[in-house]
Amino acid sequence: MSTSKSNVHAHKAEIFCKDESRVDWHSKALWTLREKRDRAAGSIPEWEQLRQIGSEMKLHTLTHLTEYLEEFEQNCIKNNIKVHWAKDGAEHNRIVHEILAKHHVKKVVKSKSMLTEECHMNPYLEERGIEVIDTDLGERIIQLAEMPPSHIVVPAIHMKKEEVGDLFHEKLGTNAGASDPLYLTRAARQHLREKFLSADAAMTGVNMAIADKGAVVVCTNEGNADMGANLPKLQLHSMGIDKIVPNLESAAVILRTLARNATGQPVTTYSSFYRGPQDGGEMHVIIVDNGRTDMLKDKILAEALKCIRCGGCLNTCPVYRRSGGHSYNYTIPGPIGIAVGAQHDDTNSIAWACTLCGSCSYVCPTKVPLDKIIHHHRRLKAEAGKLPYGKSNYMPLVGKFMASETALNCSMGIARMALKILPGSLLKPFSGAWGKYRELPVAPNSSFEAWFKKNRG
Amino acid sequence: MSSKQHILNALKSAAMAPHAMPTIDVAPRIDDLVGQFEANLITVAGTLHREGGLVNLQATVDEHIAQGMQVISMVEGISGNREVSATAHELSDIDYAVIPGDCGVAENGAIWVNTKNLGHRVTPFICENLLLVIEAKSIVANMHQATSLMTLAPGEFGTFIAGPSKTADIEQALVVGAHGACSLNVYLT
Amino acid sequence: MKIALFIPCLVNQMVPEVGIATLELLEKLGHQVILPSGQTCCGQPMTNSGCFNEAKKTTLKLLNAFKGVECDAIVCPAASCLVAAKENFHEFDDSPEAQAVIAKLYELTEFLHDVAPIPAFSKPFPHKISLQMSCHGIRMLDLATPSEQMGPRKNKFEAVLAAIPEIEIVYPDKLDECCGFGGTFAVDEGAVSAKMGKDKAQAHAATGAKYAVGFDPSCLLHIDGMVRRQKLPIETRHIAQILNAVL
Repeated sequence: MSTSKSNVHAHKAEIFCKDESRVDWHSKALWTLREKRDRAAGSIPEWEQLRQIGSEMKLHTLTHLTEYLEEFEQNCIKNNIKVHWAKDGAEHNRIVHEILAKHHVKKVVKSKSMLTEECHMNPYLEERGIEVIDTDLGERIIQLAEMPPSHIVVPAIHMKKEEVGDLFHEKLGTNAGASDPLYLTRAARQHLREKFLSADAAMTGVNMAIADKGAVVVCTNEGNADMGANLPKLQLHSMGIDKIVPNLESAAVILRTLARNATGQPVTTYSSFYRGPQDGGEMHVIIVDNGRTDMLKDKILAEALKCIRCGGCLNTCPVYRRSGGHSYNYTIPGPIGIAVGAQHDDTNSIAWACTLCGSCSYVCPTKVPLDKIIHHHRRLKAEAGKLPYGKSNYMPLVGKFMASETALNCSMGIARMALKILPGSLLKPFSGAWGKYRELPVAPNSSFEAWFKKNRG
Repeated sequence: MSSKQHILNALKSAAMAPHAMPTIDVAPRIDDLVGQFEANLITVAGTLHREGGLVNLQATVDEHIAQGMQVISMVEGISGNREVSATAHELSDIDYAVIPGDCGVAENGAIWVNTKNLGHRVTPFICENLLLVIEAKSIVANMHQATSLMTLAPGEFGTFIAGPSKTADIEQALVVGAHGACSLNVYLT
Repeated sequence: MKIALFIPCLVNQMVPEVGIATLELLEKLGHQVILPSGQTCCGQPMTNSGCFNEAKKTTLKLLNAFKGVECDAIVCPAASCLVAAKENFHEFDDSPEAQAVIAKLYELTEFLHDVAPIPAFSKPFPHKISLQMSCHGIRMLDLATPSEQMGPRKNKFEAVLAAIPEIEIVYPDKLDECCGFGGTFAVDEGAVSAKMGKDKAQAHAATGAKYAVGFDPSCLLHIDGMVRRQKLPIETRHIAQILNAVL
């Protein structure tokens, strides 16, 4: 990713905002998910209790990760599951390729995995002659459109059905101009059915890895993970170290909140538990760090690893809804994307793509304190001398200025005067981003302090 | 150093103080479990057949067969017109699969299906339409109860199925029938 | 009670009428009100930008203005500044004197709801008002249950205003979505901030209310700028102005 101005969040967001009707359309689609989530969460009286248990269960697991990872590995081995460990994305990709190459795999069907996106696995495998077919409908759409996902649960949420129709017409031969979602979905079903039946291997992400069972849980609505993993004889599952849960009892808590918070469904259509390969098959689990242990070294950032990737924070985020998933200089957008991605953001801008409104933290089913984490990222950036938007130049001045009553009173007095006597047309060019979009404040005659001295002094 | 050791070493520098495992003690909603189950099954686009049991189901299956459909049954007492195939791939033309579920979950309409007796794990996914059979008395209140009862022996694969496969990836429009079954009918016994 | 006013720089310089209304209404309720001198910025513009070093001097200066001041409560008519002051005082000074100041800090609505409720109003307020549920007051000061949270609801802001005779209270669509001000966010992320502000201003106007009423002057200033740019038929008011008019 480049450090050029073009990748700075505010710049990309400004471009996105130029088409206001599209912003409204995008915002509305995501807000609908938030509304469905509110109804689903509100329908079970124990919702807040489940959030609290979810949070504590994840905190417990993250603070006992060594034990649970080792327990998970030992139980997997007993279940004839092969376990691999990868320090980073490069090692993950290398391991996956080695397994596939050993089995002479030419074609892999893959269900949604934000981890493989994070590791940029698809291009790595494709460069080595292996075709990777994303099978989640949204993922397939953006794969055909050669775009990154713009959302972690609904990856093609930024595309209109007409655009999907044109894409499918070009790539899958659907009727020109056809944009009916049912028609397009059926066409994708047919297209991907053929891929499932001819694949040499399947890959999935992992929603939860159950330590005491040595099993992985994969949740989908479409059934694509299970169609994939249960046809070819080779199945691979990639998971971050943060996906571990102690037992089935813990998994139940997450299964109760995940889909409700994501889309407002009471549960995903399929919550599948793989505790070993099919007869005559081979099952591999790749456990990946890729920066997670670094985050655990900072107790504020560490809490981001409680995330269960429901996407609820994206749907509620007023900035995400109005700037789109591609405006964040990281694979994962929105509040959780900032929380886990700001340290990798070489534009140093995504930590500021947030008003600190706190809605995300209250939506979160495991109480990830997203606004606090984002605030903390800003502090880390400032300490590292990596401030965006000219802040490193003006903030010290603001600090000095604000700490001096005399300077503050004096210059604000002048500003009030200027607002009073200068015509708006003259002021607007000087008032920058404020006056570009909003009317300037109406200037009062005096400060409160001056009024107080005069009237109560 | 192996990557595993590298990761476990890095975990030694983790900053958070150890946190205790919370007690998971959530009050179940136990009134009218079948009614709750049916209401939630409907919200996930499934259909419940409360009455008639296996007799009703066999009659339905017979109708499908009479119309030339390919039906495989893994439920004792229900006969279809297809047997378990040598390979999973040969199931790709199955129109209806009749499969036993172990338990239903009232709070979300899900049914636990352990695939150990299915011949091929892919059966409930690859069929065009799915018919699940559960005992009414197997319906539990919530996922806490379901996960404490579900069977998943070492090496096995099981899945909670809540309705037919679906997607809303194109403009949030719900389409039933993505990659898995396009319909789900549940028969109570 | 003896009340020390905490008047944040934005209120002092840009909306003194909010400070005046706060002072007058507290006096009408029989409180003795003082204004400790030497108040500066709470440091929020700096700390929200990650610049803690730059915030330290102004924060400690503000804290010093209140240290040793004899009073029962320190009341502030700006929720966001109050939250920042609490957090920043705590960040830079953990002395018992600082703790004593923090323990007395109240946002105006919170004070009128929790500490010294208004016994009666002398006039009615026969108007429809649309409540501006600003983020920091709702989600950090607990003035109301955030819409994201399930279970029992409370709303101190509405409770204080609903007691006024003949008042009609309504809410904008997406009632507690952020207005997009966010301090330097309004400048750094001008386009998104403006779109959020525009949506919020329109949502308030769409209720048909005469006033959009809030407890956070910074959000109100932002919404006011949007209302006037969009020429919407609504005006912004601070809760202190409404209460002062009917006491």
